[in-house]
Amino acid sequence: MREAFSEALVRLAKADPNVLLLTGDHGYALFDNFRKQCPAQYLNAGIAEQNMVGMAAGLARTGFRPFVYGLSAFIPVRVVEQIKLDVAHDRLPVIFIGDGAGFVYSHLGTSHQSTEDIACMRSIPDLSVYSPADRFEVTACMEMAYHTKAPVYLRMGKSDRGDVHGAVPQARIGSLLETNRGKTGDIAFIATGSLVRTAMDIAAGSYPDATVWSAPFIKPIDSKQVRTICEQNQAVVVLEEHSVLGGLGSAIAEISSEFAPVRILRIGVRDRFSHHCGSYEYLLKEHGLNRPAIELRIRDFLTAD
Amino acid sequence: MMSQSKIFDSTTLRKTVLDMAYAGSTVHIGCAFSIIELLAVLYRNHLRYPGNDPLAACRDYFVLSKGHGVMAQYACLRDLGWLKDEAFSHYFSDGSDLKGLSDSRIPGLEVTSGSLGHGFSVGVGMAMGAKLRGTDQKTYVLVGDGEINEGPIWEGSLFAAHHDLKNFMVIIDENGFQAMGSTQDVIKLDSIQAKFESFGFEATTIDGHNETAIDGAITRFWESDSKSPKALIAKTIKGKGVPFMENNNIWHYTRLDPETYAQALSALADCVQ
Repeated sequence: MREAFSEALVRLAKADPNVLLLTGDHGYALFDNFRKQCPAQYLNAGIAEQNMVGMAAGLARTGFRPFVYGLSAFIPVRVVEQIKLDVAHDRLPVIFIGDGAGFVYSHLGTSHQSTEDIACMRSIPDLSVYSPADRFEVTACMEMAYHTKAPVYLRMGKSDRGDVHGAVPQARIGSLLETNRGKTGDIAFIATGSLVRTAMDIAAGSYPDATVWSAPFIKPIDSKQVRTICEQNQAVVVLEEHSVLGGLGSAIAEISSEFAPVRILRIGVRDRFSHHCGSYEYLLKEHGLNRPAIELRIRDFLTAD
Repeated sequence: MMSQSKIFDSTTLRKTVLDMAYAGSTVHIGCAFSIIELLAVLYRNHLRYPGNDPLAACRDYFVLSKGHGVMAQYACLRDLGWLKDEAFSHYFSDGSDLKGLSDSRIPGLEVTSGSLGHGFSVGVGMAMGAKLRGTDQKTYVLVGDGEINEGPIWEGSLFAAHHDLKNFMVIIDENGFQAMGSTQDVIKLDSIQAKFESFGFEATTIDGHNETAIDGAITRFWESDSKSPKALIAKTIKGKGVPFMENNNIWHYTRLDPETYAQALSALADCVQ
């Protein structure tokens, strides 16, 4: 995933000299190739995220196409107001890359973990939110973010969960991508980022008739498609490595409640911080986001009256 | 556009501010009055807008980071012919365009400000953009002295000095007040010039109501061989021009009534004589 990101960035920068990469002193090895191939388009803005986002707005106003990179705990969460006021208010074409979303930095604690970023960004007008699940979605999302010429927050979470597609998907902005086709009238899984792979594994193991959708776009999201999914299934399970408040689960529930009511189970972080230190797998377990815990919740949900 | 004799005349600009503040029953009069001469000199002598076009691609950038002074800028934009008289008489009416803090959707206003500390960083980005493109565009950012409490001012200053942004000038409106009191009482600033110099700026302090001094300082900055960004510290008086408003911080918040409006107009006329 990270190679796909780096390759896409280099490709876009070589094709358009207006592309600039701004980093808040992060991405040490990740940008080696970019720095080698496009040294004049690389700016380390220092450990000063607020100023970096303001500058990105200024650079965009002078015709540049800034990609602003940071850890998602900082870009976008630390700079929500700069994104709102300096960038989104005028639809400036600035792309924010929030890396290490969710519990990637499991050993480092709350400061580096990010499970509220989607919620923070979703409510800002004119700002899109992308959340790719694998290298192919990263490639597609980077291309689309560049071509929309509007502000985008691109969330990158755990990057080594494996592919969920066989090739770069032909996606429209907002569309949900089917990864497993099941049967109408069964259940549907809608997942984003790192948990798409988990949803596919759970479906393959326990729910062979379920359909699995990846949602690389949290906003805009194709509400017609979501409505159809809700109409055609007896229950929907939404999975994300993000708070259940304000993320993908909320987005799906908002559409469903208005147009196609159906029972929806929102699997995500349940309004709590991490309490302990440990591996990524340990943290998922602590938050009930490992596969056995998720399977148990789905079983309880489907058997509940 | 107004006749040349009246253009960017400080008393006329202040009268425009009073008229619109009275029409809209708005606050922040003192914040606008302290920057009148600074804006007059910038618009008259320095800012370049080819074709009198506020969106000309090769324009200089003027960023009013202290959005609270926006009425002073509106008054200048009227002199430029970019804002119509109706916008002033209908200030703050339902459905009108001009807001109480600056909004980048108004041609001539480069950023949406009022949340302080934002415009400075945007301006640094514009100056960096001009440098990367190799243009001779200048970027001016006007901040309040209270505003420099904000962290991004100093983040951006480090960046501007590191990248030798000699095309960047910050103008600090040192009127000595912020919302809740004197800057010295709230968060003491001591020497603003020394602070910017220590961050690598070429800095000077002048009387922010003396147009000759302002013009001379800006001209000398751009003639300088130094690679440093510039900091112009303008000692000003909050509420300047109407004696009962001067250095009286309630005019950050107070609205004009018919009586104070008449008194202010008369005081302004007396000042000219």
